[in-house]
Amino acid sequence: MSFIIVFMWSFVLWLVLTAGTKGMLWSAEELAAGVVFSLIVGYATRDIIGEKAGRFLNPARWVGFIVYSIGPLFWGMVKANFDVAYRVITGKIKPGIVKVPVDLENDAQYTILSNSITLTPGTLTIDACPDEKALYVHWIYVTDEHPESSEPISGSFEKWARRLGK
Amino acid sequence: MSEDMGLIVKTMARATIPLIGIFGAYVISHGHLTPGGGFQGGATIAGAGVLFLIAFGLSEAKKRYDHHVYSALESLGGLVFLGAAMLGLSVAFFYNTLWRKGIAFAGEPGTLLSAGYLPIMNLAVGLKVFAGLVSAMMAIAVYRRWKE
Repeated sequence: MSFIIVFMWSFVLWLVLTAGTKGMLWSAEELAAGVVFSLIVGYATRDIIGEKAGRFLNPARWVGFIVYSIGPLFWGMVKANFDVAYRVITGKIKPGIVKVPVDLENDAQYTILSNSITLTPGTLTIDACPDEKALYVHWIYVTDEHPESSEPISGSFEKWARRLGK
Repeated sequence: MSEDMGLIVKTMARATIPLIGIFGAYVISHGHLTPGGGFQGGATIAGAGVLFLIAFGLSEAKKRYDHHVYSALESLGGLVFLGAAMLGLSVAFFYNTLWRKGIAFAGEPGTLLSAGYLPIMNLAVGLKVFAGLVSAMMAIAVYRRWKE
């Protein structure tokens, strides 16, 4: 099962890399070479990708990822960049490391939320501790030293991460 | 002290190691068409091995690394290169008989199956560089005299 996932994952990248070999599409020999190399890569890395990665083959989840990345994530990055520009100009900073309790279950959810938090400037995930169900986040302007949820730091990202990585 | 990285690095490594592998294969197999080639692509794929070692730790990497397999792969790469070079030995060493006689890899220049023995040699060099670099990296990683 995980062999098929890696195969498709690498074959999609191959298609992206070799697009345009026959008009805008792919020539037959490129497709054949892609299948061969994807088989090799898939066989070599089949037990690295993780057993439950098959849930990311669901097209509804791809739509979710696209909506998330051009909607909430992009908007959050724009807002946060202007906020950091303001802090650079005025020098009003109050940095600190806070422990943020999160309600997530698996690795993918932790990764999505941590990367989203790191991508929005002003906050930087230092460590993810699934045992404590918490993230440690370095914050440029600490308004709440002991937050009850991830709401003040990341807005709606936790809800999205829970849905996308489920 | 745990020797592997945290959860985020490991999860990202799970997703990116296949991508690095297929990108390296792309660089190797298009060595006669685009910048790159055997050494560059082989070093790229070896980078996936380095990422695995750093993200998952030495004990995990040791489980999946077989010295004999990598040694054999490296030798195989060198032998295939030499074999491709000797194909046209009736005329000269490194004579590109596949291309001149139109036997194989003799398509129109610019397509994947062209340039005679060059794709074969690129694949051989890529395999050799990948196996050699991963072996060297593992040999350095297990050399830990300062611990005892």
